[in-house]
This record gives sequence, C-alpha cells and structure tokens, in this order.
Amino acid sequence: MNRLNRDTIVAVILLLLVGFFAYSSFAIKTPVFERLAPGQMGPGFWPRIILTGLGIMGLIYLFQSIVSPPPPGEKRGGLIGWYRHYKNPIWCFAVFAAFLTIIPVLGMLISGLIFVFALMTMLGPKDGPAFRRHVWTTLGTVGGMWFIFACLLEVQLPKGQLTGTFDEWLLVNVCGIVSMIGEMFADAGPSCSTLSARV
Amino acid sequence: MIFDNIMLATSELMSISTMLLMIVGVVAGLIAGAIPGFTIAMAVVLVLPFTFGMTAVQGLATMIGVYVGGLSGGLMSGILTGIPGTPSSVATTFDGFPMARGGRPGLALGIGVWASFFGGVISAIVLVLVAPQLARIGQEFQPWDYFALMAFALTVTASLAGDNMVKGLIAGLIGLLVATVGEDAVVGVPRFNFGSDAVQQGFAFLPVLIGLFAFTRLLSDVQDTKKAQGNLGAHSTDSVRIEHMKAAGAVLSRWGNLIRSSLIGVFTGVLPAAGSSISNILAYDQAKKYSKEPEKFGTGSIDGIVAPESANNATAGGALIMMMALGIPGDIVTAVMLGALLIHDVVPSPTFIAEQPTIAYAIFIAFFLANFMMLAMQSLTLRGFVAVTRVRMYMLAAVILFYCALGVFALNNVQFDMWTLFWFGVGGFIMRSLGFPIVPVILGVVLGNIAENSLAQVIAISTDPTMFLIRPWSLFFIILGLFSSFFHVYQKNRAIKRWTLGFIPAMCLFLSIPVFMMEGLVRPVLGIGLGLFGLYLIVQRVRAGWKLPEAEPVMEVGDL
Repeated sequence: MNRLNRDTIVAVILLLLVGFFAYSSFAIKTPVFERLAPGQMGPGFWPRIILTGLGIMGLIYLFQSIVSPPPPGEKRGGLIGWYRHYKNPIWCFAVFAAFLTIIPVLGMLISGLIFVFALMTMLGPKDGPAFRRHVWTTLGTVGGMWFIFACLLEVQLPKGQLTGTFDEWLLVNVCGIVSMIGEMFADAGPSCSTLSARV
Repeated sequence: MIFDNIMLATSELMSISTMLLMIVGVVAGLIAGAIPGFTIAMAVVLVLPFTFGMTAVQGLATMIGVYVGGLSGGLMSGILTGIPGTPSSVATTFDGFPMARGGRPGLALGIGVWASFFGGVISAIVLVLVAPQLARIGQEFQPWDYFALMAFALTVTASLAGDNMVKGLIAGLIGLLVATVGEDAVVGVPRFNFGSDAVQQGFAFLPVLIGLFAFTRLLSDVQDTKKAQGNLGAHSTDSVRIEHMKAAGAVLSRWGNLIRSSLIGVFTGVLPAAGSSISNILAYDQAKKYSKEPEKFGTGSIDGIVAPESANNATAGGALIMMMALGIPGDIVTAVMLGALLIHDVVPSPTFIAEQPTIAYAIFIAFFLANFMMLAMQSLTLRGFVAVTRVRMYMLAAVILFYCALGVFALNNVQFDMWTLFWFGVGGFIMRSLGFPIVPVILGVVLGNIAENSLAQVIAISTDPTMFLIRPWSLFFIILGLFSSFFHVYQKNRAIKRWTLGFIPAMCLFLSIPVFMMEGLVRPVLGIGLGLFGLYLIVQRVRAGWKLPEAEPVMEVGDL
C-alpha cells in the first residue's frame, strides 16, 4: 500500500465524474410524444453502457494506483514548482482564451494580430530585433491568412463590435480588388459566387 | 469489352483541360491537406461548385485529384509540425515528426511521399482486379459485425497504450462519451448539454481533433522556453532536401509492411464509414506489432511512416469502389462525390459499372493517374513546405494556434467551435500530462456514433446477445479483438514464458472457426487452411519439446 499518489487522486476524480455523468444520464428522458417502439434503444442506454465500462476501468485504475508504486515522473515541488513547470502552457491557454473572448469586440483580424504578437512576445526573446521580427511575422501571417479566408475562400469571419466599420472597409477594399480581378476572368464561365448560389 | 471501356475512358481523360484540372486539384488537395483544420472533405466541398460546368468525368477527375492530394498533403504538416493536417495522417506524426526533429525531415517527407504513392498504386491495382469480391465482403456486414468491428478498433487503440492499457481503455471510453454529447441519433433527445444550446448540437469532430492534437503537441513543444526559442528543425536546416532515391529504396525494402498496410487501407476503405482516419492507425498498430524493432516506434521509425501513409492513400481506393459498386459512400469525401455524380444525373448503384462504364473506368484511371501527379506535385510543394523547419518553434506555435482557430471557425462559421478547440486542448494537455494516450480518445470520438447506431440496429432486430457469436464476421472481429488486446502481453513475454509459444497457433485456430463459418467456398477453404496452419505450428512446437527459442530479443510495446 502506497501513500496517496497522483494516479490515486486522478482515479478518484474520474470516478466522481463517472458518478456525476451517470446521475445526469437518468435525466435523459424520451419525450412523451416520441414513444419508443418495441426493441428501440433509449437515448440514455448507450451512455450508461460507456459509463459502466468507465466506472469499471476507473476502479481498476484506482486499485492499480494504490497497490503499485507512484509514477516515476511524479515530483513534489509544491504549487510554485508546478507553476514553473507548466508556466508556458498555462499562459498559452490564458492568451488563447483572451483571444476568443475579444473576438466579438475586436473582430477576427485585430484579435488575431494581438493574439499572435502577444504569444510570440511572451514565449520568445524580448530584445529589439526579436520584437521587430514578431511585428513583421504577425502582420504577414495573420494578414495573409485573413486574406485567404476572407477574400479567396469568402468565409464570413467575425466582425468586431468596435471594429466593425474597419472590418467592413477592409473587406470592401481588399477583397473588392480580388473580386474585380475575378470578374475580369468571368467571361470564361460563371463566377464563384454565382455557382455557390446555384448550389 | 474491358479494353474498349478503358480506351474510351482514357480518351475522355487525356485532354489537356482535364489533365490541367486534375493537376490543379492535386495541388489544391496537397495544400488543403497540409493545413491543420482544413480537411479533405472541406476542400472537396469547395471544389464541388466548380465541377458543375464540367463534364462528369472532368468533375470527378478533379475531385479525385483533390482527394488523393489531400490524403498525401496531411503528411507535410504532420511530419514537419507534429500536427496532422488531416485525421488520416494522425499516425504519421508518431514517427514522422520525431524523425524530422531528429535532423532528417527530407528523408521523413520522402518516405511519406513514396509510401503514399505506392499505397495508392497498390490499392488502384487491387481494386481493379478484385473490386467485386471486396464489395461483396463489405455488403455482408450486419449491425452485429459493425459493432464487433468498433469494439475491435477500440481494443486496437487500447493496445497502442502498451503497459498503460487501462489508461488506454479509459481514454477510448472518454472518447465514446464525448461522442454521446448532443442530440442522440434515434429520437433526437439532447444528452449531457446541461442546458446549453451550443452543446446541444454536439461537438464537431474537427475542433475536438485539433484541440486534442494541436494544443497538446504545441504546448508540449513550448513548455521548455529554451527549446521553444530554437528552430523547429534545428539539426536539418543547413541542407534540407527530399531524399527521393533513399526514401524510395527504404519504402520498397519494407515491401511486406507496405503491402500489408495498403491492404489494411483498402479493406478499411471498403467498409462504409471506416475511412482513412481509422486505417492509418490500424496499419501503424499492425506494423508495430509485426516489427522486429517495436521499441523504435515513436522515435522516428521508417516503418512507422510507411504503414500509415500507404494505408491512408490505399483507403481512397476502397472508399471509391464502395461508392461506384454499391452507391454507398465509404467516407465523407466519397459522399460528396456521390452528390457530384447525382448532379450529372448519374445514379451510383450496383449496376453503375455496367451502365456507365466510361465514367466508372475513368474514375479508376483518374485515381491511378492522380497518384503519379501527387508524386510529382508533392515533390515541388514539399520544397516550399520544408522551409517551415527553419522557423522558430514559438513563432510557429503562435501562428499555428491562430490558424487552427481560423480553420476551425471556417468549418461551420460557428464561434463555439473555437471554444470547443480550446477546451479540448486543455483536456488533451491534462490527459497527456497524466500519462493518458490521446489516440484512443480520438478513435472513440470517431467511432462513437457509428457504434451507437450499430447497437441501436442490433437491439431493434434482436435482443439475443448470442448473435454476436453466431455471425461469422462478428465472431471474427471479437476473436481478433481479444487476441489484439493481449498482444502486448505476448510481445513482452515472448522468448521468456512458455505459454507465448501457443499464442499464434491459438489465434490461427480460433480465427479459422469464423472464417470456416463464412458463406461460399473460398473462405471455408481458407478457414480450413488457417486451422491446419495453427495445428502445424502446435505439432512443430511439441516436437521441439515446447522449448523457448534461444537468443531471441525481448520486445516490448512502447507507450505512445
């Protein structure tokens, strides 16, 4: 029998989650108007099969974690040690979550520029040449991708509440040039948008 | 008659405009496949409107070009960035990326290209020769067989976890559970959405895949600041070039693995809904199991690149024959192609080949040609893509993360998909940090709905569980699944414990039973042959005194 190790904690959390989902699975009810035919599988049946399997595996995992030695990679450095080890991924997640949060406000293009530049600056060197490299790389890559998706693939990228006018202006002017070039070749056949409309 | 059809189809295909369209399609597919978040299906869907103005042969040839290009394009990003461009090149990253990082990106890419080419050519030849038989096998499958196949596929992924099989199974079950979120397929009742309208539709596969792979891979790479600030291919940037001769030689010298993986690809493609996202993992697993050096898998093994790349390209052939022979799409891409055929008033059905021989043979020839075009065009596009290795890891990570978000959004134009990407990224990173393999989660998500639908059909027909043991294909997959799940124990103890001497003979004997039970004459004869082979192995080992062979290396399945 070993002391409480990482796997034991994970196994307990897993079993708690299985219990929660199993409880929730009983809230999945077939509507009254949708009577199941004889032999028809109910909507909660398959999830419960999976949860039963997951519960059994969770118990085996718990048993294994108690009787076997702790994983070799397990270190005990406290909260500070843990933060130091996972500092970069934690910040990446935080910056990405912030990026997703500001998209409705600043739109995909501006949010993307801020996100890529911020992440590069955070993870990379903080000297002058690196700063300049980050600026140019951000402008080139984010701008290029925006152009491909917004102008060439005609994907309706999210516009920001604050930058909606600017996004619109860019779409009209930058993508407008592409449309003009496209129309020059339109004599050869129907345009992409016409074909899309036909679909 | 066949010759006439081939000549007619060739004359339709061999126009300059059709050839150019095919080349454009292959290049578009290569680029789309190389971009994480830009699936082959998405590329084919985008190409579909352009095919309206073309003839049926031209349109299908272009789409086949995109399909073949896309299947091969995935290897570029998979090998160079560790993020598979498409789900069909997930397993390619296991060894392709370590080889590229180990200073041999040119060789890794060359092996991928040549394995893709040979896989595609082999599948084209096999399909033209034995297409009716393969289609007939797929047609025999009933819901019991499908469900057993799903169970087999999950045990395969669990066995990929090696010693952590319990963690592998937990991961697979988590994947299945993720697939249950959203409306159920039978009565449309929302499950586990906890009141959220966005979750009610369930999670789109692509954000889940990219979240689990992209985030976990990228964040693992930037975890160490020093490594993150280094070049992606620091050891190889001085002289990156694709070593075609060396790669082609390396692939051909592994002809056993190449043929086996290609056949796995073809067979998986024939099965409806089981596409290249499954075949590449199955082929990788089998290559690892039959390898003399399984411990090298995951560290840059050549066999580890040959198997998934030959299998995923071969899958396209299997999927195409199902669409042509039976009108059943083998995967999403062939479902789009089926739609393209309908636009041209061609209805795919069992009589399709007989009624539309020109189109049918044109598809075969186009598929064959597309592989040659892919070889030529990928060599060119790879040169540009190899430059990616010169980029610093942290810069590439930042750009790719943004690009993943953009690609995921473009799939359905839904912002919730980007949050799905984020949350599965967090979940994947935590799971990986805790030693859980990610691949079973992915396979669980892929198979979840198919398995549930099969089970629903099983229950609707009969609640008798013995049907799983009575149906030959179902029994075949159950036996294969059981032996597959114990295979890592067998490999670990081979040449150490005496019971391992009986593993292969027992597998042959047990598998001979369902094969013998199958319809027709050929398969029962094969079953008898398999049984006799098992008996022969037992007799041979009994005569040798049931002794362990000497000096045989102990093999262990490494963790993924």
